[in-house]
Amino acid sequence: MLVCGWPAALSAGEDLVKAWELVGRHLANDALAGLQKNREPDSREARFAEAVVRMDSQPVTDAGLKQVEVQLTGLARGSDEVAQASAYLIGRLYQAHYFTPDYARAALEYEQLAVKYPTSYWAQLGLVKLALLKLYLLPEPATPEARIAEAEALLPRVTVPELQRDLHLVLGRSQLFFAQPMAGVLAHLIAADRIGGLTLLKRGELQLQIGELSRREGRWEQARVYFQRFQDENEIDGRLSNVKLKLAEIAEHIRAEGLRP
Amino acid sequence: MKRPKFRLMMAVFGLGYLAALGWVFTRSTPLISGRPITIRFTHWQIEKGPPEGFDAVIKRYEELNPRVKVEQLTVPGPVYRQWVRTNLTGGTGSDLIEFAYWLQGMNDVPVRYFEPLTRYMEKPNPYDRGTPMEKVPWRLTFDDGLYTMLAQSPEIGQIYGATLTQGSMRLFCNVNLLAKITGRPAVAPTTFEDFRRLSTQVAEYSRRTGHVVHPLAGSFSNAQWLAEFVMVGTLTGMNLELDREGYLQRWPWQSQTDYLLGRWNYHRPEVKAALAMVREFTQQMRPGFSQLSRDDAIQEFVRGDALFIYSGTYDATSLKQLAPFPVEAMRLPQPTKADPVVGPYVLGPYQDGSLGTSFEVYVNKDSPHKAEALDFLYFLTSVEGGQLFMDHSGWLSSIRGVKVPKEMEVYRGTTEGLSAGSQYVGVGANSTMKFWQHLDLLVGAQGSVDKFVDALEPTMLKDITADLRVEIRTNLQVSRAADSEIMAMSALNRLRAPEAERTARQQAMASNQTLTEINEYESLWVLARHGYKQP
Repeated sequence: MLVCGWPAALSAGEDLVKAWELVGRHLANDALAGLQKNREPDSREARFAEAVVRMDSQPVTDAGLKQVEVQLTGLARGSDEVAQASAYLIGRLYQAHYFTPDYARAALEYEQLAVKYPTSYWAQLGLVKLALLKLYLLPEPATPEARIAEAEALLPRVTVPELQRDLHLVLGRSQLFFAQPMAGVLAHLIAADRIGGLTLLKRGELQLQIGELSRREGRWEQARVYFQRFQDENEIDGRLSNVKLKLAEIAEHIRAEGLRP
Repeated sequence: MKRPKFRLMMAVFGLGYLAALGWVFTRSTPLISGRPITIRFTHWQIEKGPPEGFDAVIKRYEELNPRVKVEQLTVPGPVYRQWVRTNLTGGTGSDLIEFAYWLQGMNDVPVRYFEPLTRYMEKPNPYDRGTPMEKVPWRLTFDDGLYTMLAQSPEIGQIYGATLTQGSMRLFCNVNLLAKITGRPAVAPTTFEDFRRLSTQVAEYSRRTGHVVHPLAGSFSNAQWLAEFVMVGTLTGMNLELDREGYLQRWPWQSQTDYLLGRWNYHRPEVKAALAMVREFTQQMRPGFSQLSRDDAIQEFVRGDALFIYSGTYDATSLKQLAPFPVEAMRLPQPTKADPVVGPYVLGPYQDGSLGTSFEVYVNKDSPHKAEALDFLYFLTSVEGGQLFMDHSGWLSSIRGVKVPKEMEVYRGTTEGLSAGSQYVGVGANSTMKFWQHLDLLVGAQGSVDKFVDALEPTMLKDITADLRVEIRTNLQVSRAADSEIMAMSALNRLRAPEAERTARQQAMASNQTLTEINEYESLWVLARHGYKQP
């Protein structure tokens, strides 16, 4: 049943747009009902929309997802953006949507996509996911150092700035998690910050993280810069008081070591 | 003969029609927009205060807008969710509706039924003309810049509602009783040591007068609120010590994985000290309080059988109106570094009160009077509307520029004081339930910190493992849902002219999904290696 209201007679392209707008508002079932009621002429865009909508329409079952995979596999045989996005979504099905994930298969899908379309946004987003799989979920390599090395090797292949930033964040966090030297952690986090583009909570968290980890390393000036930025940009945050204390402590160290006036 | 007569009649009719048209377009009031209409606003705040506050705002609004009549409908909390769902689905929802992101099973409601207000938020509120907020974007006229609403939005960057109030947990005092106990002038406690001394004086007063008074009105809920505040304050140092990621704050998945990694447990000395403090506080409530409800505690207080009640500022108006004595709100005294129980673990004053604004009001997307509903919401959240609401409800307004009486300033949260997240009254649904189930072993007459911890710890690994599984599942759901949204933004940019806003949302979604997955996968790593396994 269509609760949100689907105008009775939309033109073919508008039906698809309406469906995507509903998907963008997490109303996949409404989108599916609309697509079924107003059958689009068969096109790659229409088939792709239906596949994505079905991924998210309740009830989600493995059998239903299998049908989605078949649909996406057909679409992935093309060479347009729909093909690239379809191939990426097949990786996502194995990584996150099937009730029993198959991380090795997801990794394989991402790797193949990146080889076929190295500059595609979807292929590069797949490489960020591949890094996550290599770092935390695949059985091999055994040591954290080897996992990190394999994930870092993906970095030059990711050229879309915001995806490169996210991969730096993944690498920084994983090195922290595996208790690797702080210099490497900070290098990745600062690289992510330089690319920029994070907003709201994530932006503040990165500033705090660099500030605090730098402080623990005795990198006073760097810590000061990031804590100061957090303080300047955040009027309302429960951590401000703590940041003020840290800035005062850092100022004392800077004074004592004669680093800055 | 007949033809000229017919022509004459047609001419007269035509002239009459033209005259009528001329009158309609030049002299009459607007055809549709001038008709009187009624808009309805539904909320669940049936305590004393808010309904009176709304009456005052509505009265003034109707003076300014005689064409619009506003009705408020109050629906009790226990049936509110069903009311909202049924009426919105049936197309009978009121024009303005109170809603909150934490209402269970209602995640789809904002996007499905409420009008996004983001595009209005960047322009000034028209009712703020002539006030200091005249040129300030609507969003920034709220004390928290609607930060909480943005953080909880079902769509990144989208604002669906506006808030009316802000509040915190506070200690409410029976001022007359305090004067009787301490002598005049009445001396309110400002340090925890003062509170300890006062508790002794209360016991002496009870012995001397035969009127049994307890320092704190007691109920399970009031004890829970106290425990949460005492625990989070005392354990700030432990939180910061465990803060490997450097966020200066802890999220549940971090406390859960850290427990599994053996980085903390209830035997840690600072946790035991915090629990001892909870015991000390709750010993000031009447025996058997854990079997009593919040209403019992309010009655105990208004009867004059308790000197203080620790409760939310949302109860302030009720307390002040029900009590036959003056009631004053104050902050709960905090222990210092010199405290013999928790002193070694206290880093300094800790944050006391919420910084976010609340009481969210939404415009029904299907309202036949959407423009009028939005207009009333503008007025309700203007400096004048906020002032009227606060003055008549006794609830602290969320609006900047509203003049707050001195006695209400204490309701406000503050950025002063340390804060780092987890309270450790459990770190997820399973462990939290276990914590409260065993509370009697901590606060009962025969209880002790050791008895409580000894009862809690043996199953904690199992409980927190279950909590972590829930956390991972929740993250997975969030991450799955993001896939279709990311695809939708990309497809819309492909099928229509690309929009920068859509691109930014796609990028933010993709980034947030990846960051969520880091947390999820680190949790999975720890769970696989350190989680509870059935023997």
